[in-house]
Amino acid sequence: MNILTIPLRNMRRRPSKTMLLLLVFSLGVMSIVALYQVSLVVGHSLEKKLTAFGANMIISPATEKLSVSYGGFHMGDMLVDVENLPEEETVLAIRSIELKDRISAIAPKLVTMTKVNDIAVALVGVHWRDERGIKSYWAPRGEFPSASDQVLVGSQAAAKLGLAVEDRVSIIGQDFTVSGILHETGGDDDTVIFLNLHTLQALVGRSNATSFIEVAALCNGCPIEDIVAQIRGQLPNAEVKALQNVVNQRMASVRFVQKLAFSISLVILVTATSMVGLSMLSAVNERKKDIGILRSLGYGKPQIFIIFCIEAGFIGVLSGLAGYLGGFGASFKALEFLSLSDGVSPVFSVAHLLLACAAFGLITVVAAVYPAWKGAGVDPSTALVAL
Amino acid sequence: MLCAKNISKKFVSRGNVVPVLKEVSMDIAEGEFVSIVGRSGSGKTTLLNVLSTLVQADGGKLYYQDENLSTFSESHLNRLRQSDFSVIFQFHHLLPYLTVLENTLLPFMRSLSPVGKDALRKARQCLDRVGLADKADRLPGNLSGGEQQRVAIARALVKSSKVLFADEPTGSLDRATGEQIMGLLSELHEEGLTVVMVTHEPAYARLAERVVEIEDGLMMKEST
Repeated sequence: MNILTIPLRNMRRRPSKTMLLLLVFSLGVMSIVALYQVSLVVGHSLEKKLTAFGANMIISPATEKLSVSYGGFHMGDMLVDVENLPEEETVLAIRSIELKDRISAIAPKLVTMTKVNDIAVALVGVHWRDERGIKSYWAPRGEFPSASDQVLVGSQAAAKLGLAVEDRVSIIGQDFTVSGILHETGGDDDTVIFLNLHTLQALVGRSNATSFIEVAALCNGCPIEDIVAQIRGQLPNAEVKALQNVVNQRMASVRFVQKLAFSISLVILVTATSMVGLSMLSAVNERKKDIGILRSLGYGKPQIFIIFCIEAGFIGVLSGLAGYLGGFGASFKALEFLSLSDGVSPVFSVAHLLLACAAFGLITVVAAVYPAWKGAGVDPSTALVAL
Repeated sequence: MLCAKNISKKFVSRGNVVPVLKEVSMDIAEGEFVSIVGRSGSGKTTLLNVLSTLVQADGGKLYYQDENLSTFSESHLNRLRQSDFSVIFQFHHLLPYLTVLENTLLPFMRSLSPVGKDALRKARQCLDRVGLADKADRLPGNLSGGEQQRVAIARALVKSSKVLFADEPTGSLDRATGEQIMGLLSELHEEGLTVVMVTHEPAYARLAERVVEIEDGLMMKEST
């Protein structure tokens, strides 16, 4: 028996009122936790989906540009000692960074120029699965290549070369079948011919070589700069660039979802907290006689203040516990109902549970500060009128 | 022991200032049993509340053991009510959500420290003294009015108060129960407790060593 006995027993005295208050605040906490979990999962899932619309980092060999003029003849800017990136080692290096879990796709490429039907055209060697992972917007007439002797042709290149689906075409002395022609993308992909990376490496005699590597990273929770810095640490001779526009656009989408959830949570929190505050205010008015008895026994203002604050704090901690567990369960149902999880699930955390209990306990205590202060300030003579 | 000098108290009712006590002076000796009588609205309860420090007087001085209580801070007065003074009321003496034992121990439940074994033992002894040892775990709602009043007395005994202030302690009780309570108060007084009681029952008032009559906020007469 101590001062805690008084608020605890009072809560037990009016079980329906206590349960109602607990229910209202628990529902508020539950909504907030569910929204938080759903926004985390949806944000992660959204970002994963957005990586299918292009990479946000490019890794290329380090180059040195030289402006060449001789005898009054300007030869323009020339790249000095252009080397290729070794495919296997570079991919392994990217996969070994500390933030490797944030890497969602790696798409190495080899670019070379050749003439097809006497027309100059760029050839791009890719791994189909990786490339399609970052270019979900690709839509071919025909089909994506499934064999090493098949190519995918950009729409403008096909028109220029007069190629159609199922046509045979000779590239660097080897025959290929056009399995598909890309619908216009409005980008560089329209003007090139895509073929299997290993096939192109063999054709040009540059085994394991890549011109550059596109990387799609998930930036939610860690800045792209950290990922870039770690890759740079692994590949000191390569140039690693973040496509900030792409990163910023994606993060804006993810943050919009999170901000929306935060705003709704804030409204719920303010409403639930106000209810606790109002309930405590009415409790102070109802319990003036209790205050009178306690004051007659020598209880001071601080003790009266503490009794009301503890009562509110209990409700907050219990609501935090019930609300977190309920919200965690509800987030699964919400994601299932909205079909938004995309393979990602909310993660239960004991630390978050304790944090929720402590935070909501504190919030309810703050909500009870004014009523408790008012209760503590009741003059014994005023309280005695109630007796 | 307790000395009131020229105590005055006013209340404001509907914008009107109503003087309730008009320069009342009285002395209460250690171990004395004093009854304060008077008609309803005469100011006897206000006088009791002023003497027990629950209400602050507008004028005059109140001394306890030669110390001027008018100069005491609120925390000092709280300490006095924790140790030396006890008050029992006509109604609602107990917190309805605490058991009889918990109500008795309320003076020791002011902090996070659990109530000590000594206090617990003493509370049980006090409940035994007022004949409620077997009802220690009951809630006040399950007790009769007389039993509730006896719990309030046990609560006053548990902290070894020096002065017991009783405001109409038999006011809500039937004759037989009222007599039991008065018997208990007389016993406690005989053991040395100073008792200051407000009552409108002349028969009970006569049990005191001294009767102080209040009328319209003025002390009219004293009889022994």
